[in-house]
Amino acid sequence: MDELKLIKQAQLGDGKSLAELVKIYEQTVYNFSFKICRNKDKAEHTMQETFLSMVKNLNQFSGQSKLSTWLYRVVSNHCLMLARSDSKYAFASFEDEEADIDEKSIADWKVTPDKVTENNELKEHLDKAIEKLPAEYRIVFMLRDVAGFSTEETAKMVELSVPAVKSRLHRARSFLRNELNGMFNYE
Amino acid sequence: MNENKPTCKDVMMHICDNLGEQLDSPNCLMIKKHLDECGNCSHYFKSVETTIEFYKKYNVNLSEEAHSRLMECLGLKE
Repeated sequence: MDELKLIKQAQLGDGKSLAELVKIYEQTVYNFSFKICRNKDKAEHTMQETFLSMVKNLNQFSGQSKLSTWLYRVVSNHCLMLARSDSKYAFASFEDEEADIDEKSIADWKVTPDKVTENNELKEHLDKAIEKLPAEYRIVFMLRDVAGFSTEETAKMVELSVPAVKSRLHRARSFLRNELNGMFNYE
Repeated sequence: MNENKPTCKDVMMHICDNLGEQLDSPNCLMIKKHLDECGNCSHYFKSVETTIEFYKKYNVNLSEEAHSRLMECLGLKE
């Protein structure tokens, strides 16, 4: 059955169709949530909150956008709320964009990004690097660069202007690249 | 950015600003030309791309237990 039919059936109260929709998207939502939260328990909690929102608001879903787009927006909001509820949370604005770039002697990393999940040391490095990035920047980076939404779509999802998304994306990219540079800078 | 000849710093800033966008402005064409000729900037460009690829490929699987807890929480337990 195609997705729109499943949504219509679920809106009419069909539990099987609703369960099917959850099964289609649970891995995507969990994975995205983990990429923001960097913690399996928090990722599971956020995934549950996201699907509870979906069940509660499914009748308002008109089908004008994709369900996946709508879920990304909801999970992003839940991740942000969770980050803001953390006692250690503090929004840090990285204002000096040029400070991250040192144009002298840029080394060739000589790595290929394959088999990331088999390399625990690399995973630890990736976790540590992104955990230093404020959640507001992490979400923009994940939506635009990792999930592959356009800058305009990302801006709509996180309710920011396109220039604000571009600014955060720039900072996230250069910050993460520099954090990982120590691991691959062989010169 | 110098309109005649971008510096390495201009190019690196441009990479972080515009990676993934389809841009064919004269500025972008100058940046592409610079990237073809400058080893440093070419390395920088590849390292930003690799950073993104790392995070794309670092995925986690939902466990059966977490799936069951989700279905139970939604009242959809099979």
